[in-house]
Amino acid sequence: MTETVQLFITCLIDSFFPRIGEAMVNVLNRAGVRVEFPSAQTCCGQPAFNAGLRSEALPMARHTIRVFEKTTGAIIIPSGSCAAMVRHGYLELFKDDKAWLERAKTLSSRVYEFTEYLVDVRSVTELSARWSGKLTYHPSCHLLRSLGVDRQPRLLLAAVRDAEIVELPEREDCCGFGGVFSVEHPELSAEFLTRKIANFEKTGSPTLVVADTGCLMHIQGGLTRQGKSQRVVHIAEVLNNL
Amino acid sequence: MSIKTFRTRIRQSLADENLQLALDNNAARRRDGRLAAFASLPDFPERRLRAHNVKADVVAHLEEYLDQFITRVTANGIQVHRAADSEEALRIFMGIARSVEGQHTYSDAGVKPLLVAKSKSMLSEEIDFNHALEAAGIRIVETDLGEYIVQLRGERPSHIITPAVHLRRSDVGKLFTEKLGIPYTEDIPVLTNTARKVLREVFLNADIGVSGVNFGVVETGTLAIVTNEGNGRMCTTIPPVHVSLMGIERLVPNLGDLELFLSLLARSATGQKLSVYTSLINSPLPDQTRHLILLDNGRSALRASPLAESLFCIRCGACLNACPVFREIGGHAYGSIYPGPIGSVISCALVDPQLALLAQASSLCGACKEACPVDIDLPGMLLRVRSGLSLQSSVRDSREGVGIPYSVKLGLKSFRLAAGTSSLFAVFQSLGGLFSRVYSPRRAFMRLPAWTGWGYSKDFPRLAVRPFRTRWGKIGQKVDEKVVLPQEKRNPSESAAKLPFKSLSHQFTEELTALGGHAYVVSEKELPSRLVEFLKSKNIDRVLVDDVGACFVTDIPTSLEPDPVVRAGVTGALAGIAETGSLLLISGAGQTLTASLLPEVHVVVLRTSQILPTLADALRRPEVRAVPAGVIVSGPSRTADIEMTLTIGVHGPGELHAFLIDDSMTV
Repeated sequence: MTETVQLFITCLIDSFFPRIGEAMVNVLNRAGVRVEFPSAQTCCGQPAFNAGLRSEALPMARHTIRVFEKTTGAIIIPSGSCAAMVRHGYLELFKDDKAWLERAKTLSSRVYEFTEYLVDVRSVTELSARWSGKLTYHPSCHLLRSLGVDRQPRLLLAAVRDAEIVELPEREDCCGFGGVFSVEHPELSAEFLTRKIANFEKTGSPTLVVADTGCLMHIQGGLTRQGKSQRVVHIAEVLNNL
Repeated sequence: MSIKTFRTRIRQSLADENLQLALDNNAARRRDGRLAAFASLPDFPERRLRAHNVKADVVAHLEEYLDQFITRVTANGIQVHRAADSEEALRIFMGIARSVEGQHTYSDAGVKPLLVAKSKSMLSEEIDFNHALEAAGIRIVETDLGEYIVQLRGERPSHIITPAVHLRRSDVGKLFTEKLGIPYTEDIPVLTNTARKVLREVFLNADIGVSGVNFGVVETGTLAIVTNEGNGRMCTTIPPVHVSLMGIERLVPNLGDLELFLSLLARSATGQKLSVYTSLINSPLPDQTRHLILLDNGRSALRASPLAESLFCIRCGACLNACPVFREIGGHAYGSIYPGPIGSVISCALVDPQLALLAQASSLCGACKEACPVDIDLPGMLLRVRSGLSLQSSVRDSREGVGIPYSVKLGLKSFRLAAGTSSLFAVFQSLGGLFSRVYSPRRAFMRLPAWTGWGYSKDFPRLAVRPFRTRWGKIGQKVDEKVVLPQEKRNPSESAAKLPFKSLSHQFTEELTALGGHAYVVSEKELPSRLVEFLKSKNIDRVLVDDVGACFVTDIPTSLEPDPVVRAGVTGALAGIAETGSLLLISGAGQTLTASLLPEVHVVVLRTSQILPTLADALRRPEVRAVPAGVIVSGPSRTADIEMTLTIGVHGPGELHAFLIDDSMTV
């Protein structure tokens, strides 16, 4: 039976990288999943929440809950930090508001990060994807540590035909994005980024794979600024390459 | 500290090449050391969870536990004082000092200033103990090598565990030349030995020894103090008065819990299974007075706040070593004596409310939580500090977003308004897309100026002219209805391989050897001759002994009285611990604690039947709670306070030899 899921596209993919969203829909279709897009969605509220502006994050979280409450089935998010926000952050945000906390918990239990859903729920790893050349994977912090998702993207990448997967040195180090951190503490953020790019270069791979758009725009932004030709891609783009 | 000052300090740290080298070195070594140490603890996840729950229980019922603990410690003969804040703690200490000085005056005609030898204590840093004592005319000397170095430099420690982590050997060489008058050298053992000589005099002449407390055991009233160099043992054993400073939250309910926390502390802090010396203090030694000052200083307020979980901290420093921000800026830039992730949580409560801004200096990567042996949700705590929830929720709105510039706040507020509804959001997305096309017609990543923060080191992507939401209607979905779901192969979890040890004494020997100690299995009959042969091979003409040593040492003069010039000590031990290669020594007949501490060579005589499998087994021995004091010795005295370079032999013995009497046949 065909499964239907709700897509929470995230404001970054929606606004900056719609191609990733399209790739993800194709991949989910190939995994036997029909996708719905609740069009009233905007942003989960993570930027304000992480900055400490909870009164700004609250209306965005309530809006997100209202929008997705009207739907059924799993909610798929192509970003570890946004998925962690809805799964864990909302419980913190509403910890003193019983009624909303219940609603947040219900939503929380429906949320899956994209690769987590494919591997853990759909048991899919082989998607007939093909990629010629080297690939290296950067585990995004929230995906890795807050959701505990690491095995899943690796299994998916390991099944990509023709791809040579190389390990990224010091792979679990943060790239320095961290939401407003990247703007507020530019000097620190720059140090993390420089180290991440140097480690990426050590792999000799022209392509870095991530499963979080924040890291993608950060690392790609750094590569572009340094005049480097390497690319950062979202895992959905790799899996959609046939 | 203002945001501006903080950012200036960050830039200074980043520009300091010496510091950057030292910090990179620290991060890599500490991380690898910690991972290797936890490989020897297969049930680490369970232990971590258990530790979290024990601390949660202690913090939830803190007053009850404190009452029991104080009753017990008092009954043990230690004088307990409670201090609400730093002023009161200092007042209490000055009272103790004055009474000591009073006695001093009668015997010495009151000419010398009081001398205080202090082993490492973060709490003393919190209350600015040294400065207060110096202002009162008391001479106070730090005895941990790293602390001694920073004291000589007139600095404060830059790391909870390795106070001089910001310095390189050349800095220490210059410092010792200037302050101690030795010829310039970068030889770390020479530098260490210089400090050893100076500090030895301090230990022997100190009027008061001051120490921190790592854990207070409620059930027994035991104070557990861990050090690697042996200075903690010196400060708590040699001076006639010992004063411990302890935060009220540093309690564990019983000795079983102590074993749990000891198994986590050293592994997390320095990558050791146990620190070299774990002192277990129950009561005063003969002719000694002990005091315990229990300090609140904001802890009760912290406990009542949404940051209560931060009181679970055992001050191992693992979160500092794991933190990418600490790795870049080091401890001093934080402007708090508690740096790193845990410092960014507690400093606003324990040091200065203004330090709440430190919580913004984190990418929330979570490496700290991952490293924390008590599983404190540090990123979660940092988020609470940022949201102004830290102390009083009543003033939350004014403190919300504490530490971020107004421009960023304004940006986030505007974003919230723009993303209020999807139709408004779509309008802003399209406008943004068009604007970014105009701003950057060719490049998909726009060059932004440095003042934007982002533009400092990276380009910013153009917004899509047609965001995903407007494209959605055109995506034709072709759902594959015949997806074959492959069954994922799960690897059966490999059960931990049994350690390849033939016997407990074999395991003990392997572990002790790994620590730099030596073990020899001998028969009871041959022991005296082997001992004498060994001591003579080291040109030792006199030994300190306890009652066990006195039984076996023949042919060489022995002394039961502490004598600092004797080069070797021969003692017995209550037990050996196979899993860590440790020896449990207790005070009792003879001078076990001094004979095992003052000389440069320590020889232990132990029967193989006294070797117990685990630390937990050793702590279950009834003597542990009955004697005035005991110590668990894990290898020779050591330090890594200069450039993380392991140096053997600081304040305690540099050599540890265990003679194991094989009684496996007779038991």
